[in-house]
Amino acid sequence: MTAEEVQMVEYILRRIRKPNLIIDENTPLVSTGLVDSMALGDLVLTLEDLTRMRIPPGRVKPKDLDTVAKMFATAARVGKPQK
Amino acid sequence: MVRYRTLIDALDAAPDDRPFVTAWINEDEQETVTFAEFRRRARLQGGVLRAHGVNRHDRVIVIMPQGIPGMTVFAGAMMLGAIPAFIAYPNDKCEPSKYRSGLAGVTANLKAKVVVIDEEFPDDVLSHVSLTEATKSEATKSEATKSGATKLVRASDGRRPGAEEELPGPGQAGLSQADDIAFIQHSAGTTGLQKGVALTHSAVLRQLEHLAQALKIDSAKDRIYSWLPLYHDMGLIACFMLPMVYHIPVVLQSPLDWVLHPETMLEVITEHRCTLAWLPNFAFQFVARRTRPNRRAQYDLSSVRALINTSEPVRASSMQEFQNAFAANGLRAGVLQTSYAMAENVFAVTQSDILRPSDRPPQNGKPGHSGDLGPPRIWADGRQFRSSHRIVPVAEGTPGSVLMTSSGRLLPNHEIRIVSDSGAILADARVGEILVKSDCLFEGYYNRPDLTAKAIVDGWYHTGDLGFTLKGELYVVGRRKDLIIVRGENIYAQDIEEIAASHPAIHDGRAIAMGVYNPDLGTEEIVIVAEVESDELLAHAPEIEQEIRCAVVTSLGVTAEMIFLEPPKWIVKSTAGKAARSTTLEKLQKEHPELNFES
Repeated sequence: MTAEEVQMVEYILRRIRKPNLIIDENTPLVSTGLVDSMALGDLVLTLEDLTRMRIPPGRVKPKDLDTVAKMFATAARVGKPQK
Repeated sequence: MVRYRTLIDALDAAPDDRPFVTAWINEDEQETVTFAEFRRRARLQGGVLRAHGVNRHDRVIVIMPQGIPGMTVFAGAMMLGAIPAFIAYPNDKCEPSKYRSGLAGVTANLKAKVVVIDEEFPDDVLSHVSLTEATKSEATKSEATKSGATKLVRASDGRRPGAEEELPGPGQAGLSQADDIAFIQHSAGTTGLQKGVALTHSAVLRQLEHLAQALKIDSAKDRIYSWLPLYHDMGLIACFMLPMVYHIPVVLQSPLDWVLHPETMLEVITEHRCTLAWLPNFAFQFVARRTRPNRRAQYDLSSVRALINTSEPVRASSMQEFQNAFAANGLRAGVLQTSYAMAENVFAVTQSDILRPSDRPPQNGKPGHSGDLGPPRIWADGRQFRSSHRIVPVAEGTPGSVLMTSSGRLLPNHEIRIVSDSGAILADARVGEILVKSDCLFEGYYNRPDLTAKAIVDGWYHTGDLGFTLKGELYVVGRRKDLIIVRGENIYAQDIEEIAASHPAIHDGRAIAMGVYNPDLGTEEIVIVAEVESDELLAHAPEIEQEIRCAVVTSLGVTAEMIFLEPPKWIVKSTAGKAARSTTLEKLQKEHPELNFES
């Protein structure tokens, strides 16, 4: 995992408060219910912080955020430099 | 205001070149259609429906993503004199079997001639849509269609004509009469249990006239922002029918895009200088907490003259948090307003007093109270409220008091009664069930005379909501069926749920409190079902339960007899995303038959 992916994993673990859970960049999060749909906005904000990109609305769906690896791939695909 | 015969007459009367719907995706991707272009596309969609055998009075189910194509199909169906109904689009997380089952209930009840879906509608859900026995038999009986089952139609975006002919223009397609059913909107519930509320053109037009008067609508200046789904009354009536009839531009965003980027609400309002929006209570906090401090300076909310909190019990704390967060962005005092609304009355029953911007003093960028200019608020003695259903005002912040926010005053031609369990009419400051009578009340649940007879008695609609009146204002405190009575003490399920959900191990918003009758004790006992944040936390269930139990006793003075901690996603949710108490109780009963609940 990249340093940013590690930080994202740490953020997710802090957020879902699951003491013994181990997740990696390929662990499904949204489709398994580990991350609730109402938390997706927080994931997008964190992704923007870690990539220093702006994720444009309308270009991302929940399935694009299902794993940490997909999140960063999505940011690379649709992200724009932050103003 | 010109009085129109039908909603389509109002659409036909709109100025050609005035912008109507802007579908906002992001700052670079937006599409705006004028009223003329919207009408043209609606006539095209109407032509497609007619080519599929749709005639006057036929039901048309529209299951399309939020946007212009779905709206033009809806309007096109009305142009034909058919009766459209929006149904929620399946999302990524919905289980196909559950969605199919829910849809089966709705399509069977409506006996729809056509179900319109978009090109990306998921196949695993598709297999069901047209195949209920009820829809088959109705379609077979139809004189217009001899071919059998309800048709499934994949809609195009409506921009280009197909092989079908466009419907005739204004004055030629007027198939509907004022007292015909215009459309069906569904009241919230788990999908299969939703009730179809049939509304006539005249009822909808009367509601809009009252609403426009209360909101002091100015067609030349107002512009609506919305991410609200069109299959709910807030989205359909306030953000589609109101702008269509009053010729107001509306900027729409998909609900999913808004959840992923809550801050975009501020971006859209700033960019398009929107003046009006409706939001459920949770959204006020949701946006305030998810807007980056370093981006706040770019937002300008000075154009907004009303953000109206409706569809959920109003929490003063949520509104105050929003007001404080954005006062420096030009959000004027008194902009945050409230309303009490329901699909059965088309939409609003009450509306708080909306002021024009010129009526309000600027806040000079300082956070502050909107209390003096917004809806009235009252601190009431909590003990009296719970034990005797009386509202006894106390000083602000008195220990044990509860803060309540008014949902506003009645719209014209509306009446309410507050009644006790025995049906006696109650005076001001006494809490009871809210009954509504108006000139825009629905005529009944579609094909459900049994439910209609229970809901409307002597012309009064029994809302099932609890509230009280005070100085001409209506305060809504909760749902009657959610009231728990423990040894004569009235406990509001929402209060318990708020306490349970505030425990760090419980998923936010995923707690349900219910009263279950204990025949041995002769009273109800409190049962709480709450979802933990993760499965592992269930290993600590005894400690978590005890902490919740303590918190409930400390706050409300009553004991929660049974607490069930369940894994994530266990609680059944309605299509509105709210926890469904009765369905969850049924699920609990199935899993715990030994408890022998008798509610």
